[in-house]
Amino acid sequence: MPGRGRCPDCGSTELVEDSHYSQSQLVCSDCGCVVTEGVLTTTFSDEGNLREVTYSRSTGENEQVSRSQQRGLRRVRDLCRVLQLPPTFEDTAVAYYQQAYRHAGIRAARLQKKEVLVGCCVLITCRQHNWPLTMGAICTLLYADLDVFSSTYMQIVKLLGLDVPSLCLAELVKTYCSSFKLFQASPSVPAKYVEDKEKMLSRTLQLVELASETWLVTGRHPLPVITAATFLAWQSLQPAYRLSCSLARFCKLANVDLPYPASSRLQELLAVLLRMAEHLAWLRVLRLDKRSVVKHIGDLLQHRHSLVRSAFRDGAAEVETLEKEPPGQGQGQGEGEVGNNSLGLLQGKRPASPALLLPPCMLKPPKRTCPPPQVSTVTGDEDISDSEIEQYLRTPQEVRDFQRAQAARQAAMSVANPP
Amino acid sequence: MEEEETYLELYLNQCAAQDGLAPPRSPLFSPVVPYDMYILNASNPETAFNSNPEVKETCGGFSSVDLSFLPDELTQEDKNQPVIGSKHETEENSESQSRLPSPSDIGLGSNSPSLSNPHSQQHPSDTDSVQASPEKPDSNSLPLASITPMTPVTSVSECCGIVPQLQNIVSTVNLACKLDLKKIALHAKNAEYNPKRFAAVIMRIREPRTTALIFSSGKMVCTGARSEEQSRLAARKYARVVQKLGFPARFLDFKIQNMVGSCDVKFPIRLEGLVLTHQQFSSYEPELFPGLIYRMVKPRIVLLIFVSGKVVLTGAKERSEICEAFENIYPILKGFKKA
Repeated sequence: MPGRGRCPDCGSTELVEDSHYSQSQLVCSDCGCVVTEGVLTTTFSDEGNLREVTYSRSTGENEQVSRSQQRGLRRVRDLCRVLQLPPTFEDTAVAYYQQAYRHAGIRAARLQKKEVLVGCCVLITCRQHNWPLTMGAICTLLYADLDVFSSTYMQIVKLLGLDVPSLCLAELVKTYCSSFKLFQASPSVPAKYVEDKEKMLSRTLQLVELASETWLVTGRHPLPVITAATFLAWQSLQPAYRLSCSLARFCKLANVDLPYPASSRLQELLAVLLRMAEHLAWLRVLRLDKRSVVKHIGDLLQHRHSLVRSAFRDGAAEVETLEKEPPGQGQGQGEGEVGNNSLGLLQGKRPASPALLLPPCMLKPPKRTCPPPQVSTVTGDEDISDSEIEQYLRTPQEVRDFQRAQAARQAAMSVANPP
Repeated sequence: MEEEETYLELYLNQCAAQDGLAPPRSPLFSPVVPYDMYILNASNPETAFNSNPEVKETCGGFSSVDLSFLPDELTQEDKNQPVIGSKHETEENSESQSRLPSPSDIGLGSNSPSLSNPHSQQHPSDTDSVQASPEKPDSNSLPLASITPMTPVTSVSECCGIVPQLQNIVSTVNLACKLDLKKIALHAKNAEYNPKRFAAVIMRIREPRTTALIFSSGKMVCTGARSEEQSRLAARKYARVVQKLGFPARFLDFKIQNMVGSCDVKFPIRLEGLVLTHQQFSSYEPELFPGLIYRMVKPRIVLLIFVSGKVVLTGAKERSEICEAFENIYPILKGFKKA
């Protein structure tokens, strides 16, 4: 379009107005380069966006900043815009990136690492503002490996000496649940599966709180727990129609990826709910199982505080007292669970004695018994017998055999790969 | 009071003249104030007892002061330790000879630095003598070391007798001769050498069960031993193997580079709570790793703390560092026992 200027790269006058997400941009239709971003641009922002600005009007802002740093800062801004973060986050993230760039180790890092560093800065900013952004989400956006991300993240937190708060679970629940496509009827979502967002959110939050109180969240990835909680909340709101739906199918129709650990989290959560149900008078008689307990999740959640207190005794104190007594059965931590199981079987109608409130890894029997540590009486200065050393050396005959075998192998390999 | 101060100054001047003979034995010693010195005088005593052998002679001059309240161990000393060191100095010594610190160790109790504050029970006599002493100029570890209890019982009951077990020791030694790795790989049964993958021979022996990386420069890394002595014995065996293969191998600069220990406190730990209260030391990212990484400042040890109560301690150069680190962390973890 005439009168709009020329493209700095190819000099063409064919500039088209295009928009990228929420930014309107002037793009050259010949070479595709972005001339200006946004309707309002200043020389400052033009320079910051790597646009050529005439020397007489340049601010000299970018003289001290290297091209790769400029590129990185641009990536930070782009990532913030893609994630639709509030504008203040952008400045903080850019500041972190600049701070990181002052260190020689970062300046000399590979491009892959610098790319991941962009994600790290944005993540740190979001964490500090309690914005629920998971590392998995950033890695997907940046097409980065979680291992590379993890090492860069730990390095940069240490390098900059930052205090990064933990992921805010409540916020994550709200964001994650809202992403489930179950709040409106659609061809893939039958009418009976549609649910009210507020009800589902509040129930999911209560279930996640229950999970974190009963040691299901500590040390685990937060997202699968929330998936399981959302599923249970959804099922319990209309159990009659929804009990037949499996977790995998639920995630499929909600258009959300099913994380692998979610099914085991679901089982753990159901086990906790079943234990709580044992202590609710009108549920005790029903002899619930993992499917029927879903219908009563509402009741259980309503009384969850007192139920957790009565259904679970303090696992920590219990383990200690069990150990201090002379072990009748001779086991360490298995005692509590064994005792509980046998009691549960013996007492028919009465509630089982309170289960141990312990993380699942402590409730499972150990896979292999650790051998008791042997007290070694090695001094380090003992004599070393010749025979002991000789057992590790090849005899001359063996050496010759080995050499012959190696030569034969080389010959075979060179025959196999003809020159 | 005046005479005691000038006497101490004289003594300190003497020590300063002979200073530089022996560097402070370990970071454990220097900042911890021997509490008996509070009773004797009011000056800064910590500079005085830097494992200076002269202390033994000059301490005779303190005989005028009544030392009868001190337990008997202090009166019979090891030859190579200063006499009126803090009690933990003696204990350190005996510890390095006999494997584990005996339960009656008071030294370990007096070692507890700033982190293990809450549990220290203070005897009235201690606090009095503490208040009599002037203010310490510097580090925050000192004032708290001064309130550590005199009786030995406290430290033992804190740890309930849990002692971290050593799982791995990494050590290095210099064989001081250039090695032909191809020849070693050819003549030794227990060696593997793949120059395209790694530029060293990987050798293993059965007793003690360890692995060694032997480089062509003559340097060797020995890993997998379960105690310092085993590591040394294993390194010597590898050196013997190399010797038998015809190289003039020696055994120089054997040094333990890293020690890894583990233990179980037997109760679950609220990692989210721990990261909130000890944010400057801890890093807990459940999305990346299920354990909490606690970087202790003194001693400089990294601890991996898991929800099941299992603790892995690494980064130590000496066994005492691991024990000390565990003693520091145990009261903190106990604070998070209840939900």
